[in-house]
Amino acid sequence: MALPPISDLATAAPQRRGAAWELWRALSGRGTRLLAGLHQTWRRSLQVRVVTITLLASSLLVGGFAYLIADKITNILLENAEADVKTRLDSGAAYAGKQFGLYNQPQEAQFQETVDGTVNYLAGGDPQQTSGVVVALTADNFSGVIQPRTSPAVGNLNSVVSPELRATVAGGSVASQIRTGRLGEERTKYLVYGSPVPTRFGQVELYYLVPLTRQDSAATEARATVVATGAALVLLLGLLAALVTRLVVTPVRVAARTAQRLSAGLLDQRMVVNGEDDLALLAASFNQMATNLQRQILRLEEMSRLQRRFTSDVSHELRTPLTTVRMAADLIFAERDGFDPAVARSAELLQAELDRFEELLTDLLEISRFDAGFAALDAEPTDLVPVVHRVADRLTCLAERVGVTIELDVPAAPVIAEIDPRRVERVLRNLVGNAVEHGEGNPVRITLGVDDTAVAVTVRDHGVGLKPGEEKLVFNRFWRADPSRARQTGGTGLGLSTSLEDARLHGGWLEAWGAPGQGAQFRLTLPARAGDRLTTSPLRLVPADATLPFGGPRDGGLLAIGPGTAGALAVGPAPAGERAESRP
Amino acid sequence: MSRRPALGGLLAALLLLGPVGCGIPDDTEVRVEGSGPAAEAGATSGGRVEPPSRTASDTVEEFVANFLSAAAGEPDGAYDRVRQFVDSADRPRLQEKQGSAVSLTVVRLIGPPRIVASPDQSRVTLRVQQVGQLGADGVLEPPEATATSYEFGLRPTLQDSGVETDWYVVDPPAVLLLSVEALKNYYTPRPVYFWSSDRSRLVPDERYLPRAVPKDRLVSEVVRWLTGGPSNWLRKGVSPARDDTRLINNATRTDDRWEVNLDMPGDDRTRLEQLGTQLAWSLPELTGQLELKVNNQSRLTIDDLAQRRQAFPAYTVDDAPQRFCVYEGAVHSLDYPGEPSGPVPVAATANTRVVSAGFSRYERGILAALVVTGQNGRQHLSVGVGADPVTAFTRSQGTGYATMGRPVWLRSANPPAGLVVADGQLYRFDSQARMSRVPLTAAGNVTGVAASPDGHRLAVIAGNALYVLAVNHNGGVLDAGSPRQLYTSLTNLSAVDWSGENTLVVGGSAGQPAIYEISVDGARESALREATGAAVTHLAAYPANPANPAAQISGKVMYEANGVAFRGVPFEQIKRDPVQGVTQPPAGNPTAPFFLY
Repeated sequence: MALPPISDLATAAPQRRGAAWELWRALSGRGTRLLAGLHQTWRRSLQVRVVTITLLASSLLVGGFAYLIADKITNILLENAEADVKTRLDSGAAYAGKQFGLYNQPQEAQFQETVDGTVNYLAGGDPQQTSGVVVALTADNFSGVIQPRTSPAVGNLNSVVSPELRATVAGGSVASQIRTGRLGEERTKYLVYGSPVPTRFGQVELYYLVPLTRQDSAATEARATVVATGAALVLLLGLLAALVTRLVVTPVRVAARTAQRLSAGLLDQRMVVNGEDDLALLAASFNQMATNLQRQILRLEEMSRLQRRFTSDVSHELRTPLTTVRMAADLIFAERDGFDPAVARSAELLQAELDRFEELLTDLLEISRFDAGFAALDAEPTDLVPVVHRVADRLTCLAERVGVTIELDVPAAPVIAEIDPRRVERVLRNLVGNAVEHGEGNPVRITLGVDDTAVAVTVRDHGVGLKPGEEKLVFNRFWRADPSRARQTGGTGLGLSTSLEDARLHGGWLEAWGAPGQGAQFRLTLPARAGDRLTTSPLRLVPADATLPFGGPRDGGLLAIGPGTAGALAVGPAPAGERAESRP
Repeated sequence: MSRRPALGGLLAALLLLGPVGCGIPDDTEVRVEGSGPAAEAGATSGGRVEPPSRTASDTVEEFVANFLSAAAGEPDGAYDRVRQFVDSADRPRLQEKQGSAVSLTVVRLIGPPRIVASPDQSRVTLRVQQVGQLGADGVLEPPEATATSYEFGLRPTLQDSGVETDWYVVDPPAVLLLSVEALKNYYTPRPVYFWSSDRSRLVPDERYLPRAVPKDRLVSEVVRWLTGGPSNWLRKGVSPARDDTRLINNATRTDDRWEVNLDMPGDDRTRLEQLGTQLAWSLPELTGQLELKVNNQSRLTIDDLAQRRQAFPAYTVDDAPQRFCVYEGAVHSLDYPGEPSGPVPVAATANTRVVSAGFSRYERGILAALVVTGQNGRQHLSVGVGADPVTAFTRSQGTGYATMGRPVWLRSANPPAGLVVADGQLYRFDSQARMSRVPLTAAGNVTGVAASPDGHRLAVIAGNALYVLAVNHNGGVLDAGSPRQLYTSLTNLSAVDWSGENTLVVGGSAGQPAIYEISVDGARESALREATGAAVTHLAAYPANPANPAAQISGKVMYEANGVAFRGVPFEQIKRDPVQGVTQPPAGNPTAPFFLY
């Protein structure tokens, strides 16, 4: 209770209310948790669902049948009793009618005697031997003249024979009713049948009160049996459903677990096959599938390994003759001044092509090392600023040759990150080399950015740019934007591929952006600490000066990319106040 | 999500509890099954004859007569009816009895009631002769009370004008009085029949049925009487009723068919057949079907009661009685036109010096008993048995008797036997004329004897009083029951005979010699002849044949008084003319007339 106490009197009630609220909250929380648990169980367990549904359906069915049977039994018992009493009543009324037909007046001396005798006779004579059946004769029209009689003698006939029944019978109808009352020791259910008995002076009424104790107990017994049987049946069905479901679910669970293990790479996991049923077939098929997959995967792995090995071997094997060729070519190149100008030109060409050949071999070896998984990261805390400067310096002469200026945007402070400086330098050299090559005389800008978790370098050129979709293709091996275009500069076609592998080796990203006519920008993002996972980059991939085909957002504004009409992707200015993040 | 299990649980609970709810309900609405049975369109039987009420009388005499008839009717209401007459303050003095204990004291008034009138209370004195006690079972038993007079007061209810309109009885007698007139007016005498000791014939027993009882209840009443057993005085002569037989409720009628449901242990077809015959005879007005059920099981159906009566006669009485008389010391037949007559069934050699005679038909032959005068002037009995005419006669041993009455044959006896009064004693004789005295508990000299047509009852005059008794003659031994005295207004009784199965003709004196017909219990009497002039010395009657009431003859009574014989009713002297077999002119009167049947 966070309520501050104002006064003792005023806080008592709220405290109680608060306590109740707390209790309610606790209870409802518990209930909600329980319900949530149940729901989870319901969703997760096929067995629970099947058993629950079976229990419900079977109890519906069994309950319906039980009701019908119990009802039928009760009705049959009751109908039998009714038919029995009706027969007795009819003959009794006929007999009483004959007996009373001898009298003209109810006042006649022997009439009451005849009433007594008739009732006794109809009750079977000996009151000790009657089966609880009470025969009663009343004369509502002659009360005071004719004493009502019952056999065996009971005092409180009215507790069982209702006034409505008496009125109906006195009205001249044969009528029946079931009533519960106490005539003797115990409270008993009676089937009461009443019939008028016509006499010469009017009408008297004859009643048969038959105890339904036997029928009642029989009905109860039958009902109990039916209910017990029904309950047992429902339970049995539930048990059966649980067993059957278990029979099916267990292998499925095993299959699921095996599949999980398979997908985790444990290719030799198999299911146990028992018998020849459907589940065994499933297991066998599963196992066969796993075996086939494993074989295929192993075959592909082998093929891939052989290819890589072949590349590596070829590179190695080429290197030895190349060295010899190189030595001879160096000799020829050194002596070119003495040659015929045409031969000298050839020696120069030979020298240049040998350089490219060597580079190609180096790149191939590097790639095959990556493919073989032998590439190892030699990470150490390194300041990236000198690395960037070194790369720029290295390529300055090439840039000057094609009339490209290289602009640097690096922070004054050192940018330390755990990197492999050799690989990062190679990546940057590749990127800057490409930018200079495709810069078409426009300046190339290298930007270095840093934040808490990552460092990033972007290389921006203003050349022909990339067509849409080429951002990914540029990292493919031996990919060319225009295959017909001859390779003018010394690119091997493997540079960006190895750069991408280097970036991945660091756990970093290497991404490209480009637009036709607007040049391209590549961004290398590396984690500040080796092994960290990257989430953001300190620099944006899309340069700020890039214009968008639809006019773009206002200067410095954000873009929103989302689903548009007819399945198209809609790109437009983002609503104000939202922060956009773009990823590869 | 969570609704599903919740709903499921609810459903399951509902369905499992469903059957629990569908048992036999505790209470239901009234269900009408149809209309009740229609009333049987039966003819309402009989006018109910009730004694007049307290206020129905105009005079004190009438009121007293009404008071003496108040108890008449069904025994259950007797006390109530009498109590209506009694002043409310005195009503507790009537000690009420219930059910079969109700008994009415039947009295014959001697002279008119003596009424001493006074303004606020009249005193009534009744001089009475006790006749008997009428029980709830309709039997008139011998009287228990010995009172010869009853006295009670009458409190008049005065109207404003001072005229006495009606009365209340104050200080009433402690018993329920019923005058013989009321008995005659409000009861119907009905014979019911019980089997004789040897179960060969039926012996009538007189019962009184209140006229207030509707006709439809007659059968029930008769069955109750039959299962209740015979009157006490008859027990010697009849086989007792088994007391384990009981009528269940009432006998019921469907059209012309009566149904009697009995509670009778054992499966005794013979007994049922006998009971059926008893019923057929005891209910002569029924002609239809009778079904006897034992504990609701139909056991015997008599298709036609009239046929049953024909097939099983109660006892045999010849339809064609012949009249005989003694004329000039011999038996002669009397011939009247339209009546059967024939020769005297006694050989002429034996038919001499006859004083009186008694004949009876026996199987194919004749039983003849003659009182003859011997040489010494004393009288002897001469008995002959055989085919008509009887020739062989045996004379009784000994010296004879000073006087002998007319011999009578006991019709039930086998071998034949008869009774005769000699010298004030009752004797039994057989076919060999052997005489043996019959001891009687009745005091006084025996002066007359008569045997009933069924042969199981005797009427005896002893010590100037009239008795009836049941006898059983078996194997040559006469077993006599205790005599029951009949209280009649006649005195100086001189002769008796049976004029019907339950009536006697008695010669005696009612101020002057007279002949009365008296019921077998003495309650009803009627004068056949008020003045006979002289005491009746011989009296013979032909009883009505119950099997053939049409065969009644006129003049069924014959008597002799002062040496002159008469026949009646109406009475006329028996002259010489009808006497057969005599030649003129010996003069004299026919005497000692009798019937052969």
